[in-house]
Amino acid sequence: MAIAIERSAVMARRAKRHRVWQRVGHVMTYVGLFAALVFFLGPFFWIVTTSLKGNEDFFAFPPVWIPTEPSLKHYVALFTRSSGARYFTNSLVLSTMSMIAAVVVSLPTAYSIARWRFGGGLLSIFLLVLRMLPAIALIIPIYIVYKMLGITNNYLALVVIYTVLYIPFAVWLLVGFLRDFPVEIEEAAMIDGCSRLRALVQVVVPIIAPGMAVVALFSFIATWNEFLFAIVLTGIETKTMMVLVTSFTSGGTDMFYGEASASVVLGVLPAFAVAFMLQRYLVKGLALGGTKG
Amino acid sequence: MRIPALGLKRKQWEPLAFASPSMALIAFVIVFPLAYSFYLSFQNFDLSVGPEYEFVGAKNYTEALFRDQRFMGSVWNTALLIAPSLLLELLLGLGIALLLSRVLRGRPIITALLVIPSMVSPVMAAMAWRMMYGVKYGAINNLGRQLGIIDVYFDWFSSPLVSIIAVVLVEVWHNTPFMMLVLLAGLQSIPTELYEAAKADGASAWQRFWSITLPLLKFTMAVGVMIRLIDLTKLFGLIFVLTFGGPGGATETVAFTTYLMGFKDFRMSYAAALSYVIVGGVLLLTLVFMWIQRVRETRVAA
Repeated sequence: MAIAIERSAVMARRAKRHRVWQRVGHVMTYVGLFAALVFFLGPFFWIVTTSLKGNEDFFAFPPVWIPTEPSLKHYVALFTRSSGARYFTNSLVLSTMSMIAAVVVSLPTAYSIARWRFGGGLLSIFLLVLRMLPAIALIIPIYIVYKMLGITNNYLALVVIYTVLYIPFAVWLLVGFLRDFPVEIEEAAMIDGCSRLRALVQVVVPIIAPGMAVVALFSFIATWNEFLFAIVLTGIETKTMMVLVTSFTSGGTDMFYGEASASVVLGVLPAFAVAFMLQRYLVKGLALGGTKG
Repeated sequence: MRIPALGLKRKQWEPLAFASPSMALIAFVIVFPLAYSFYLSFQNFDLSVGPEYEFVGAKNYTEALFRDQRFMGSVWNTALLIAPSLLLELLLGLGIALLLSRVLRGRPIITALLVIPSMVSPVMAAMAWRMMYGVKYGAINNLGRQLGIIDVYFDWFSSPLVSIIAVVLVEVWHNTPFMMLVLLAGLQSIPTELYEAAKADGASAWQRFWSITLPLLKFTMAVGVMIRLIDLTKLFGLIFVLTFGGPGGATETVAFTTYLMGFKDFRMSYAAALSYVIVGGVLLLTLVFMWIQRVRETRVAA
């Protein structure tokens, strides 16, 4: 009897200790994640507040972490004095054009691979090669050819490169979406007298549109973020945001904080949007993200 | 029901016609330039001298591999940057992924927030950090002074060692989220029954981690490390903005040296040869890595 009571007491104590540890573990998990959030998002917080500071706040000590009188004057300066409006538009236009072109060109190819196994394993080899290929190996010959043809500092010439760089990636993702698409629906359309191409455009596309949007957003952000081709092949008119931001690095480590931080804020906006919209596809998208330099 | 008479049978030309636009583009923009660059790497094309060039055999390659101190130095620098970055990204990524896998509520939103740095361009990441490293107005020095950790304005890019640490920190900030994401996917694919069975058998949390999580996560870890390794050999934008190769070339990576060779000195043939040396090196690295994986797997199997 006495032993039995003692045993249940031990059990209860053990269970209690277990529960306490579980709670401690739970708290520690959230503490750890909070620390991670501070580390990974802190820089963004600082950049945003810095871009809203007046000059006195930059120089103040103790430092001002949250500006007392936020102002948009650095954004105004960036857009007027540094022609930021033009370069922001350039980035938008380039990314949009190559996004559309990449999807339009990749869709029939993906269809060909998904339906007819075109090219055997060619695509995966291309993907692998392109994934490994440093962008620097491509930019040297392309620069020489573009120089000879006189098409550096040209929007379309850049769009062509960006489109092609993301074709293998776009095709690969689209093949996945197309394989999930039931063949019967297309066949039904074709029995009704639809051509293959019309069936693709009018029947398949509306249904796999969400998948195409994923591909489109990834190629948009990839072009938006690209730097090496942009810095080599753009001139004063065609510069992108990525090239503009590097112009603030002259002047040592303490440079134009206002405009520089404003341009970083604008430069990272699409990344924020896409991180939330494409959650389910982030692993694939980042793993295959093309020639990132 | 299939009705062949209505033309649903596969037409021979259709697959090719559908695929040809992108194939043509890839041929023009990727395959042809690479071939042209390979041809150029055996010439002595130098835009700073003039448009004429002639065949010089493998001279560019022998110079790159045996005589070019600067390029050799950049190989060493790249390795010095890669090793700590990879290790930290793997450990930190694993740690955060483990924490995330324990969270039940709000996981998607926390993951999305944590992953943002990886979506940002290297140039933007570097710019944000360059400002944070700023001597007088940077967040790091100011925070350090406010908390009383440092009492001078520290220049983070004054010595080679500190610069390398500074670059590694930015790199870790930028790409750990990717590693975390990959490992989280790996963790979620481990069946929970395994843990329950181990728990029933009285295995401690540590034992469960050591003998279930780690072995089953090995492949995912290898894939993640592999991808990061390949990407780290391309390290360019980060260096361009953060240090421009300095101080004294201590952070000049292979991609950055090649860039300078091509677009500052305009030695196009030599830069082309360097880029092929890099491609060869990455290929070799990949093969060695795969071979090590293979050896380890067969040893485990045996």
